[in-house]
Amino acid sequence: MSTADGAAWRVDGAARRVLVVHCPDWAPGVTSPDPAVPPSRRRPPPPLGAAEFAQVVGLVEELCPQVEVVRPGICAIAARGPARYFGGEAALAGKIGEALGRRGIACWTGIADGLFAALLAAGAVRSGARLSGAALAAAGWSAAGPGGLRSDPGRTGLAGSGRPAGTIVPPGQTAAFLAAFPVSVLEVPELDHLLPRLGLTTLGEFAALPAAEAASRFGAQGALAHRAARGLDPRPLDLRPPAADLTAEREFDPPAGQSEPVVFAAKALADQLHAALAARGLACVRIAVQAICADGQEITRLWRHDGLLSALAVAQRVRWQLDGWRPGQAAPEEERADPDRAAALTGGVTLLRLIPDQVVRDHGRQLGLWGEAVVSDRVARAAVRVQAMLGHDAVTRPVLSGGRSPADQALLVPFGDAQPPPRPPDRPWPGQFPAPAPAVTCPAPLPAAVTDEGGRLVGVSARAEVSAPPARLSVAGGPPVAITSWAGPWPVTERWWDPSLARRRARFQLVTEDGGAWLAVLQDGQWLIEAGYD
Amino acid sequence: MGAGVSQLTREVALVRARAAVPGEGVLPVLPALRDLLPDGGLRRGSVVAAGGWGLLCPALVAAASADGAWCAVAGLPQFGVRAAADAGVDPDRLLLVAAPGPGWAQVVASLLDGCEIVLLRPPERPAAGLRRRIEAAARRHGGILVVAGDWDGAAARLRVTRREWAGIGSGHGRLRARRAQVVADGRGAWSRPRSRWLWLPGPDGSVTTADTGAGETGGDETGGAGGPWDRRTGAVGEVGGASDTGAAVGWP
Repeated sequence: MSTADGAAWRVDGAARRVLVVHCPDWAPGVTSPDPAVPPSRRRPPPPLGAAEFAQVVGLVEELCPQVEVVRPGICAIAARGPARYFGGEAALAGKIGEALGRRGIACWTGIADGLFAALLAAGAVRSGARLSGAALAAAGWSAAGPGGLRSDPGRTGLAGSGRPAGTIVPPGQTAAFLAAFPVSVLEVPELDHLLPRLGLTTLGEFAALPAAEAASRFGAQGALAHRAARGLDPRPLDLRPPAADLTAEREFDPPAGQSEPVVFAAKALADQLHAALAARGLACVRIAVQAICADGQEITRLWRHDGLLSALAVAQRVRWQLDGWRPGQAAPEEERADPDRAAALTGGVTLLRLIPDQVVRDHGRQLGLWGEAVVSDRVARAAVRVQAMLGHDAVTRPVLSGGRSPADQALLVPFGDAQPPPRPPDRPWPGQFPAPAPAVTCPAPLPAAVTDEGGRLVGVSARAEVSAPPARLSVAGGPPVAITSWAGPWPVTERWWDPSLARRRARFQLVTEDGGAWLAVLQDGQWLIEAGYD
Repeated sequence: MGAGVSQLTREVALVRARAAVPGEGVLPVLPALRDLLPDGGLRRGSVVAAGGWGLLCPALVAAASADGAWCAVAGLPQFGVRAAADAGVDPDRLLLVAAPGPGWAQVVASLLDGCEIVLLRPPERPAAGLRRRIEAAARRHGGILVVAGDWDGAAARLRVTRREWAGIGSGHGRLRARRAQVVADGRGAWSRPRSRWLWLPGPDGSVTTADTGAGETGGDETGGAGGPWDRRTGAVGEVGGASDTGAAVGWP
């Protein structure tokens, strides 16, 4: 976990080096001054406010620009540039301590990755308001706090020239530094009592939870606290597509002629990808699996992920993708039916790449993703497997929605996609036919011809009168069949306000000699069959 | 405490036994169709052929779907979801694969693995070997294959032989309900054909029995489940029951 976090810090740079200057004289409700501060520097606590603190900010500003005041008594600067200028972080902290010390202002400085850890390093976060002094000691504040770590030369260095002015947490060790603090330092009231009751008393224990679990259990605020506990910047990340380094890829040399080694590698790649995403508190909506063959062919397919797929499930999708893909002509039936078929890929796979698509913040898992009926694993597996063979859009789930023509009344949503809000089916939809609904709806209307006794095409006047009773129906150029009963026309005027979508149509119900019943429309002089009542 | 635990153990064992043998068991069908099927329902692992595509197929699977079974529909881009829902199919548990393509047999086998019922219109008449492989997949997974078309070796075959629409005249009224004669036969003891008159669909889209005077035009019947259509509109049964096995107007 800690290595993943360290990598995260280096790669995404979200947690910048931050230096916090903490003047304890301003801190509200200071209970006991740190013994590390010499009594000579301690001043009687005056009612100090923002105005007085401005001079401290001014002093710091002389050394480095862009000082951010966290609250009176505490300010923060981005440490990287100034530290480089002054020859190291310890030197920078020493400079600041010196400058303030000359004015007789006591200060602690702390440098760490991210503001939260730097505040802790500077001793600027005190849970004293909620814990008594004895409880503080019992919680190991003094032992685990900056003082305790300061004795460990491997991890921290003393600021300045041996002056006990604060703590410097080396880059990448923030998580380890934070681990020993009690969770109350997070200052999230909801978590203060909840986490200890769950047996999580220290930040380290809290940080050990998977990020997704923390988000799902403790909500957005908990997710931020969790990021803070892991030494990451708690502020939300951009929704920009991630840098290419989130992509996990593996080359095969020599090319893998069979799917087995590719699938095996896919599992490891998926693990890697998930770890990289989780370390950033991210989830991907979809995952693109790209396999490149030795002859240059490329198989890319997008899979719905939503942070729900395990590494094994991703590997399974890679297998389906490889099995479902056949070079050139269709493979014989036997090969297709054999799930363990060796992938006869042209030249073998040389590169497998897993690319997270649509990376978003991980808000935790969402149940009931597919609507009311919970899709069982078995159904999802079958559907995804068919999607592997035919494509994502080939497997759909219908959503009843409102509309006037039968084809409009069911919206087909690709399996796994979130269902869009349908047009409400319970609105009146004037012009909609009452029950019974047609059992056969044409995805695209079929051309037809409705003729009268004389063989002339039946027309409808502007006053919705038929030119002659319909006598024969011919569908899609088929032989004409006698019409025994008919009803209509029902004029339908749709979207008259939008010239590009406006339709004026006349609808008929026709029953033919062979017992079939049809919903026919006459639009712009053309007869179309919309549906059948078979 | 002890009694409670033992009862729980018994119940768990019962559930396990039910889940462990997918080939066992019969899924329910609508009461109107019960007499037409050999087991009074859809036996897991079996194939039922339901003539051409029409409301009969969704009607066959309606009760099972409402009972919680997942239903996949393959090869039917013209599947009328609204009509199926009115007949009792739960659209929340439907998977539609409009175009299963040349590898449709493999698609059907995969769907049978996940869904209790697969409604299929084969794009071509399957060869005997392919047919047996699909049947084996149905048996293995305990799925039910309902074929909209013909299927050699189906456990039961249903078809609509006569149908007559009610509520529509010449230039007036509208389609309100259809009485249809469904004939079923099968293998072995079930080989003797039996027929039932059904409202397929009734005026509210549901499928109920309409057995009163088989063979007559349905002017006076009210069907099994109360007032099938509005008598006030008059015009009923003007379409004589025509033989349907080879409809002249077909879907391309």
